[in-house]
Amino acid sequence: MKLSHSPLLAQNLPAGRSRFMLFLLMAGFAALLVRSLYLQGVNTDFLQQKGESRYSRVLELSATRGRVVDRNGDVLAVSTPVKSVWALPEDARLTPAQAREAARVLEMDVRELNRRLGSEKDFVFVKRQVAPEVADRVAALGLPGIHLQKEYRRYYPAGDVTAHVLGFTGVDDKGQEGIELALEPILAGKPGSRRVIRDRRGQIVEDVESIKAPQDGRDTVLAIDAKVQYLAYAQLRQAVSDHRAKAGAVVVLDAKTGEVLALVNLPTYNPNNREKLSGAQLRNRVFTDTFEPGSTFKPFTAALALEKGKVRFDTPVQTAPGRLSIGSATIHDAHPHGVLTVAQVIQKSSNVGAAKLALSMTPDEMWQMFDSLGFGSPLRLGFPGEVGGRLRPAKSWRPIEQATMSYGHGISVTLMQLARGYMAFARDGDLLPLSLTRLDAPPPAGKPVFSAQTAREVRAMLEMAVQPGGTAPKAQIPGYRVAGKTGTAHKLDGGSYADKYVASFVGFAPASDPRLIVAVMIDEPSAGKYYGGEVAAPVFAQVMGGALRSLGVAPDAPLRPLLVARNEPPAKEEM
Amino acid sequence: MATLSLRHAPRPGTPAELDPLLVWPALGLLMLGLVMVYSASIATAEGSAFTGHQPGFYLVRHGIFLVIGLVLAVVAFQIPLRFWQQMAPLLFLGGVMLLVAVLVPHVGRTVNGATRWLPLGPINLQPSELMKLFAVLYAADYTVRKLGDMGSLRRGFVPMAAVMVVVGVLLLREPDFGAFVVIVAISMGILFLGGIAGRLFVGLVMVLAAAFAVLVITSPYRLERMLNFMDPWADPLGKGYQLSHALIAFGRGEWFGVGLGASVEKLFYLPEAHTDFLLAVIAEELGFAGVALVVVLFGLLVQRAFALGRQALALDRVFAALVAQGIGIWFGFQSFINMGVNMGMLPTKGLTLPLMSFGGSGIVANCIALAILFRVDYENRQLMRGVSS
Repeated sequence: MKLSHSPLLAQNLPAGRSRFMLFLLMAGFAALLVRSLYLQGVNTDFLQQKGESRYSRVLELSATRGRVVDRNGDVLAVSTPVKSVWALPEDARLTPAQAREAARVLEMDVRELNRRLGSEKDFVFVKRQVAPEVADRVAALGLPGIHLQKEYRRYYPAGDVTAHVLGFTGVDDKGQEGIELALEPILAGKPGSRRVIRDRRGQIVEDVESIKAPQDGRDTVLAIDAKVQYLAYAQLRQAVSDHRAKAGAVVVLDAKTGEVLALVNLPTYNPNNREKLSGAQLRNRVFTDTFEPGSTFKPFTAALALEKGKVRFDTPVQTAPGRLSIGSATIHDAHPHGVLTVAQVIQKSSNVGAAKLALSMTPDEMWQMFDSLGFGSPLRLGFPGEVGGRLRPAKSWRPIEQATMSYGHGISVTLMQLARGYMAFARDGDLLPLSLTRLDAPPPAGKPVFSAQTAREVRAMLEMAVQPGGTAPKAQIPGYRVAGKTGTAHKLDGGSYADKYVASFVGFAPASDPRLIVAVMIDEPSAGKYYGGEVAAPVFAQVMGGALRSLGVAPDAPLRPLLVARNEPPAKEEM
Repeated sequence: MATLSLRHAPRPGTPAELDPLLVWPALGLLMLGLVMVYSASIATAEGSAFTGHQPGFYLVRHGIFLVIGLVLAVVAFQIPLRFWQQMAPLLFLGGVMLLVAVLVPHVGRTVNGATRWLPLGPINLQPSELMKLFAVLYAADYTVRKLGDMGSLRRGFVPMAAVMVVVGVLLLREPDFGAFVVIVAISMGILFLGGIAGRLFVGLVMVLAAAFAVLVITSPYRLERMLNFMDPWADPLGKGYQLSHALIAFGRGEWFGVGLGASVEKLFYLPEAHTDFLLAVIAEELGFAGVALVVVLFGLLVQRAFALGRQALALDRVFAALVAQGIGIWFGFQSFINMGVNMGMLPTKGLTLPLMSFGGSGIVANCIALAILFRVDYENRQLMRGVSS
């Protein structure tokens, strides 16, 4: 039944070759099975871990940033949900009409929109942080390749009034300035996480692990009193405008606790819209700008002289003839006064008198005092760019420098340091640490600098300075006894004193039991007046008066018209 | 005698006459291929502007080509082997002409740097896929014609070698190195089965090995491909990118896979997931079980092709015997290379998985080849009936 084989065929088509060939192919398949077994049954951990590293990602679930409220609970900073518009350029093929419509809704230039959508990248932001209504309208357009992503935007209801206190957050919701930076760890909270597998284009495919919930940031209660802050802002703004000043700053401290109730700088900015922001607007001058304090420093000199027992409250000091030569240099009083008591040296602000008090002490004693008052080193409140001012080591002081330092030249301070220094007089000689947040416990014990006796005597001198015969009757407030000191310092410009001034006033009230310290600094007033008593003292009076009434501090002086102040010309202030 | 038996025999094409040992592996591979092409391509098709974001873009096209392929297979099944044998030199010549046409400027279509396609209206024809089939037919016919010269280098081997050089030059100009390797394997395999002298064959294998070595060394990109498959983790985001993702897919699949449709690698990570790297998606979604199924089905198919070939030889039908075994070599060799590449056992080259990967010309050529296998079986049985009756 089989066909006969030709011998030729049998020789030429050996069945062995066919079996051998089939064997080779089957051996190949067997090798594939073994290899597959190895890859899928043995080496899986290694391969899967390699895979994870390619497409599994830990996504941050952003924690909502804590709110910042003032001491009475008014909201100063809050995170509001917004949307960011992003696109996959490859898919975002818009018709010209669609592009125009999208640009109109997003309030952006259509060319800019097309430029972004024409990008080579896989992913671009079209516009970040748009309002939810805008986002809804974008979604309603139903454009291909355009997507929305939820984000948070920080909103500051008080705008430019609190700009320098609060600072701001960046687009990534991290603090960049002010409180937002200083209290970042508290406000930021802990982001949660979600481990996911994403496809190569970033879309989430599945969750790998259970979601770790984010911990929202904690709300922070500031020491700031929004009412006082606004008052200080309004008054400073008025004064800077009236006197055509370059800049200005006001600080309000609670003398009982060390809390910062208000902090204002001008020029300022709107933290809700930070386009076109200049460095000058951004400067938190209260912490970052130092100036020569001028006469506001004299009370420290007098206090030290009292403390060291060199003089008493009423020790006479000869200031005639209104000059004092030290080496080759000469110190001047603008108006010669003759013999003054120590108290009158402060009241009339005599440079010669202050210099003579200083020269009765060693440089080391003065340096010790300045240092313990906190001058020369930063306050370290966590604000960016805080500076310490200039306080050279006592060893390097020449006598003329020691003399000028007594009335606040040759030394530089920040307004915050100066305000805090006056706390030693407002309290009974001790200093409290400053606090930007509301203290809910009694403040820590103060650090004594002067004796209570010295503090009381300097308070009396500072009260005289705002009374008729003093340099700043305009600092008076109806109903309250006020104590304070003017300063009018020539500005150093390229190493020499130019015809520019810093007018300042630092004081506290009620003088019988000081509650608030207010420090005012007006930089380069250029509308004619530049004396601290003329420029800074009225701001002080308005802010202090308003703040005391707002806080319900009991008046300690009978209400009467302040005619006296107007009738008698104020004492001329010394530089 | 033969006319008598034909009267009793069922008409060709009735299912009862199709060899079940061939039908089920072939259908299984074709259907699994359709499902897996859809699964592997759904995300890239939806995410690509080229496909107009239609998730079913590749599914529809693969389905259409399958239908075309099956219709042509039914037609091919009607054609006697005798006719194929007569046409073999012509078909082969036609294939060479098509390969030449591909290389004519503005005629061939270039995709990803390779000019392999002829645009024919709505479809693109890939002559190198048809050429594999023609090579089977031509080599078988050649061997039958030269049975007496199989011991001679000059008369038995050199003519075939010359033809291979021509085809090789054309294919490497495209370039389509993979198709060249398959065609050489088919031709040499058939010569080997045809009884070419053992010493000639050994010499031939050595010459070919040397030629490949020269090719590899003179073309830097081939050398790179040659080397980087050995350690894809050395440059996993560069040269080893594709292979490392294929291996990750295998690792993720484990025994039974992550489930049909659940592959992550196909989500834009693994390039060519629906063509050259289809097996990696099978490995990820269906696990070792899926891979083993594919390997076993190919094994059955190849084994059956060789069995049919030996049966034909027993019936003294040399051409049919060589054609059947040639198709077995084709499917076996190409699927082995493709799967080996997917698993990092072999250097990466552009070869699809026969019967499964996306690719119109390939699927159609595979279907026709299957039909010829069925025809060999059919004619075998006709002969046996004729003899026995």
